[in-house]
Formats: sequence, C-alpha cells, structure tokens
Amino acid sequence: MKFSRKARRTVVCWLVLSPLVVAVLFPFAVMFVTAIKPQAEMLRPTWWPSEVRLANFVTMWDATNFGTALVNSLYVGVLSTLLSLAVSIPAAYAMSRLRFRGRGFVQQFLLVSQMLSPIVLVIGLFRLVVALGLLDNVNSVVAIYAAFNIAFSVWMLQSYFSTIPRDLEEAAWIEGASPAQALLRVFLPLALPAMVVTAIFSFINAWNEFVIALTMLRRQESYTLPIQVFSLVAGRYTVEWHHVMAAAFVATIPVAVVFAWLQRYLVRGLALGAVK
Amino acid sequence: MNRSLLTNPYLLVAPGFLLAAFIILWPLVQLGQISLSDVNRFGQIRGFAGLENFVAVLTDPLFLGALGRTAVWTFGIVAGTILISIPVALVLNEDFHGRGLARIIVMLPWAVSLTMTAIVWRWALNGESGMLNSALRGLGLIDQNIQWLAQAATAFPVQIAIGILVSIPFTVTIFLGGLSSIADDLYEAARLEGASGWQMFAGITLPLIKPFINIAVVMNTINVFNSFPIIWVTTQGGPANSTDILVTHLYKLGFSFGKLDEASALSLMMFALLLFFTILYVRLAMRGDRA
Repeated sequence: MKFSRKARRTVVCWLVLSPLVVAVLFPFAVMFVTAIKPQAEMLRPTWWPSEVRLANFVTMWDATNFGTALVNSLYVGVLSTLLSLAVSIPAAYAMSRLRFRGRGFVQQFLLVSQMLSPIVLVIGLFRLVVALGLLDNVNSVVAIYAAFNIAFSVWMLQSYFSTIPRDLEEAAWIEGASPAQALLRVFLPLALPAMVVTAIFSFINAWNEFVIALTMLRRQESYTLPIQVFSLVAGRYTVEWHHVMAAAFVATIPVAVVFAWLQRYLVRGLALGAVK
Repeated sequence: MNRSLLTNPYLLVAPGFLLAAFIILWPLVQLGQISLSDVNRFGQIRGFAGLENFVAVLTDPLFLGALGRTAVWTFGIVAGTILISIPVALVLNEDFHGRGLARIIVMLPWAVSLTMTAIVWRWALNGESGMLNSALRGLGLIDQNIQWLAQAATAFPVQIAIGILVSIPFTVTIFLGGLSSIADDLYEAARLEGASGWQMFAGITLPLIKPFINIAVVMNTINVFNSFPIIWVTTQGGPANSTDILVTHLYKLGFSFGKLDEASALSLMMFALLLFFTILYVRLAMRGDRA
C-alpha cells in the first residue's frame, strides 16, 4: 500500500516536472547531436545523423584554438580562486568568530559589492586595467574575478564557519594549545570541506564569466574559453557549428558534472546564509 | 604567528576588504569623473561637461527603448521564474523515486556558462537548420520555419524564456532551503484538522516561505537586470537595436560608439538603481532576521 502511494507520487512528480526537464535537456541534446554530426549534414536539422563522427572533437581542437583557451581558462580559474580564498578565509573567520566595531560596515560593503555586477562598472574597470598597463593580460582578469568573488566566498565560508562549535577551540586552549595551534589543528580541518566547496564555486564562476573577459582580452592568445567559442560565432558569415558545439561540449560537461555533484552543498550553504 | 595576529579582526578582514574596495571603488570614482567630463573616444578628458552627458543619455531614443525593454525583461523573467520555481521546489521537496536525478536536471542550467547556453540556443533557433523548428514541425505545432532571432517580436520573448530557464535553479535552491525549514508537525496538525492540500499550501507553506520569496525576487531582479550574455550572444541587441536592454546599450555606447562619457553617466544611473534594489534587499533580509 505504502509503496504504491510512493509510486503514484513518483508518476505525478515527474509529470509535473516533465516540461521543465524537456526544456533543460533540449539544448544539451542539440549541443551533443551537432557535435557528433558529419559536417556535410550540418544544415539538415535531423536528430539522427547518418554516423557518429567523434573525429569532430579532434579536428575541433586545432580548428578552434581550443588548447590555448583551455590553458587560459584554467590559469584564470585557479589563480583567481586561490587569490579570493586567501583573502576570504581570514575575513570569514573574523566575521563569524569575532565581534568588532565596523563589522556591520564590512558586511554591508560586501553585500553591495555582491549586488554590483562587473557590467555596471565595466567602463571604469577598463580604465583601471588600461591605467595599470594590463590590457590583454590575463592577470587583470584574475584580479577582477577574485575581487568580485570575495563577497560570495565570505558569505559561504562565514555561514559554514558559524556551524563549527566554538567550544572545540576553547577545549584545545584549555588543553594547553596556543590559539594558533587550536586554529590549525582543530578549526581548519573542520572547515576544510567548506573551503573546498567555496573554491569549486569560485572556479566555476571564473570559468563561465563573459563580459570582463570580452572587454579586457583583445587578442586570441589571451582568450578564455567562453570568449574563444563566442569568437567562432560572432560576426561570421560561415560558422563551423559542429566545431563550435564540440568545443562548447568539452568546455561545459566536466564543469557541469562537478557542479551537479556539489549542488547539494550549495543548497545548504545558501540556505544557511539566507537565514542568517 | 602570535595571538594578536589571529584575533585582530581588522588584520583578518583588511586584505579582502582592500582588494574588493580597490577594484570596485577606483572604477566608481573614474566613472564619476568621466561622467561629468567631455571625453573623446580614446578616453582623453577634454573639459568639464556638467550634466550634459546625463541629459544626452536620458534624451536618447535608444536609451528610452532599452529602458522600457529592461523593465519588460526584468519583470518577465523574475515573475516567470518565481511562478515556475514554487511548484518545482514543492515537487522536489516531495519524496519520490528519482528525486536525486530530478534535482540534478533542474540544477543543470546553472552549471553551464550563460555564454555557452546562449551559443547553443543561437544555433537551435536558427531559421533553416535549427533543431527547434525541426522539433516543432515534427510535433506538428508549426508548418513553416520561424526566423526566431530575425525579428524582435519573436527574439525578445525567446530571450526572456531562456532567461527564465537559467534563473530557475538558483530560485529553486533558495525555495528548497525555505521549505526544509518548515517543521513537519505543522502539516500533521493541519491534516488532523482536516485541511486540504491547497489550504495547507496557502495557510502554512506560502506564509512561511514568504521571506525566501522576497529574497529570491530581489536577488533575481538584480541578476536579471545585470544579465548581459544571453542577449549579446543571441542577437547583440539587434536587429536594429530592437532587443537592446540597458546593459547591452551601455556596452555599445562605451565600446562600439566610443561615447565613454555618456556610457559612464549611464553606468552611474544604473548603479543608483541597483543600490536601491540592494537597500530593498537589506531591509527585507533584516525583517527576516527579526521574525
């Protein structure tokens, strides 16, 4: 009896979700089918190509300059994540553990900086980058991503840090550990998962960013993946769609898999942050 | 490492604060300066212009068109997203077979960059070779190919639909957090009193997730207002600026038309609008705190 109720609920739930599921999966199907189609069949919109042309992925690599863009994207993603974590972890620790004058001000500043998207500041950021002589230099993008990621990282880390009981550190002090030892031996190991999750989301944000990279990176050698793939589509009369879709597929799927695996941590982190 | 270093909050907060402040405040000061100046297309300041740039932006018919479309764009996506996300979150909060898979599918658009999503849609919406036309024809819903992106009458609604699709994951996430905070006893008690499903939704669920809806509305409003890639990649604001919203208009003003001064003035006005949304958000969040 109980099983049949759950089975019935399963059918109803999936039925309600089905339009959304179709809409979500449709672009993935288009991307995948186009990526494996032979070039000759590109203009015929069929779902079933005459053969699966996996060689598209190989020819795409050179034709789209994928390797360089991949290296740039990895560089920007890793470095901006490390930079933003390096400054966010101490700040989040202070915000969750210590009471101090100006805490409210810092919190509000971070909130405003999160609300401000880079696009609104893009003219000023462009001038900043030009003034520093960093136009076309991926390091400028690293610094901007890191700065715009601080608010999110502090928010996520702080909400997790607050769930780690203070007593644990205090117990370590009583046992004779110095605050530094307590921090390193007790607090950091417990906080590590939160840091890893925050790092991965920072990385994904940097990996996916568009407008800053579009503005600051002008030569192909410095393009990140979104800009590289966009440049294959924008302002061209003939677009090699099978290469574009193969490139989009390779650039998207690994990150999407990691994200799908981690999304429950995000649900928890955001929920904790939202009720704080 | 000594004690004062680890417990001095100002030292701990300073690096992050200074980095964020430098990258946000310096450009903001620049924007203020340029918006009041007469600037050539290479960014050289030629003189003081007072409020001329602001007047030029506000009287530009392209600005007024983009402003109206931004309102439609923001309202359309936020309203559509909230209306779809509430039932989706309620369903995902139920216990059913394959819920883990369903959650992953619903969250997927969040994991993909807007740029890639928009590029795929640009191809899917292609008039002759696009899969959407072929799928709709296959289902017998249309009998002639539609040139989706060639006219604003179809392009803009399609762009709004894509915007809704990519905003759902974040919104559902917030709602799931809200739903998980509602104690089960409330529903048990209501059931004992003989309440119907709808009565429980209207009497318990809705009031209790209201703060989460408020937060989702404000945060989505800010995100959508700032959203650039969907429109830029699919139509670049075209044809003939008919799908431009404020952010794409701003980008064209600054980087295509070389009117850095007017673009700076527009940036500041948009900044003021965003600040207004943010203050709204803070007030809503604070009210949630007190409750």
